[in-house]
Amino acid sequence: MSKKALRPPGAQEAGHFLASCIRCGKCAQVCPYRSIKVASILDGLSMMGTPYIKAREIPCYVCMKCPPVCPSGALDRKLLQKQDIRMGTAVINKNTCLPWQGTLCRSCYENCPIFDEAIVMDNELRPVVDKKKCIGCGICENVCPVEQAAIMVRAKGDT
Amino acid sequence: MIIRLLRRITQFSTIALLIAIPLLNLRGIDVLAGSLYSLAVGPVWITDPLSGLQVLITTLTADTALLLSASLPVAFALAFGRVFCGWMCPQNLLSEIADHLQSKVGFERPIKLHTTALPRYAVLAIILVSTLIAGFPVANLISAPGIISVQISEYVMAGAVGVELALIGVIIFFDIFVIRRAWCNFICPVGGLLGIFRTAKTLKVVYQRETDQCIKCGACVKACQLELNPMGEKIYPLCHNCGDCIAACERATGKNNPLSFRF
Repeated sequence: MSKKALRPPGAQEAGHFLASCIRCGKCAQVCPYRSIKVASILDGLSMMGTPYIKAREIPCYVCMKCPPVCPSGALDRKLLQKQDIRMGTAVINKNTCLPWQGTLCRSCYENCPIFDEAIVMDNELRPVVDKKKCIGCGICENVCPVEQAAIMVRAKGDT
Repeated sequence: MIIRLLRRITQFSTIALLIAIPLLNLRGIDVLAGSLYSLAVGPVWITDPLSGLQVLITTLTADTALLLSASLPVAFALAFGRVFCGWMCPQNLLSEIADHLQSKVGFERPIKLHTTALPRYAVLAIILVSTLIAGFPVANLISAPGIISVQISEYVMAGAVGVELALIGVIIFFDIFVIRRAWCNFICPVGGLLGIFRTAKTLKVVYQRETDQCIKCGACVKACQLELNPMGEKIYPLCHNCGDCIAACERATGKNNPLSFRF
């Protein structure tokens, strides 16, 4: 895991998040899907105890339970609408994505919680991510049937 | 003796709470959540003041909810002293048990230090400066109660503990074999900060000279794992009001014991 780990919804940008997260683990505790994991000291000194999400294993199902419990504001407590979160942006690898290679597949499109907005199908029925609408939850990455997910979430701040 | 019993109950209740929280969370009950860094009891949030202070330093902004929740333990410390350390901290409980076992075996530790709060303040200062430079809460890398509580939750929720727990092993090893109660007395930044919050009215162990019932048995001094002398003048901020000296005094002198808690 790098410093550009996928953080829970409402997380401040990387530097501010590391500065204000007090590593209490509350967000991971209240996550009903166990999506939020707690980083170990082996991930780096500044990472120890911070929450992260591995979308391919368990994505964020945007239930929005975690932002309001954050004691330090590392997760924006005022964030209540799933459309407003920006954990990152999904990026499609057109070289492996089935529809882009000519096979029918609608997995990411159908499972996207910002349905028919963050991921739309173009007129040749290929998925396209709307960067402005994508919230970075990673559900698409989780459901992608390609062995190495053809759609992956790039965490906020990762270039 | 009632003090000792009450304290043990409080100490073990704290551990029980730390186990109960993730167990409840696993079943979808979130009324209780958190660790000893920050605890949510329904709508009431209680945050470790050291964590709050560090976030203040790193972000240079005052999050109202954070400061409010961190002020609760501060108010508690102003009223009752460092009872968090003496009555709740799981590291203190572990160190107490280790010290007790060590005294049963009874070998001499190689280093004996005069107990003073200065090293603890130095550690606290170094940590706060590092926090400012590194830009993240450095104390939470070594905050023993925080680490124990988070790892208990990790064990219950994820079925495994992190290597962070090795620190607790090192502390106990050091306490047993090198310097008696070294962590609590000389290093712990959490206790160091809590010790700052004192007034003349804060709960303290008082020797009542007028009753003059002291039989000079020294049981109180022997009872103190932190090697403080409650008959001496300055035991604060090192004393964390565990009350073991009072219990020992009561055992030696009977009901009208000259040592007691007073505001």
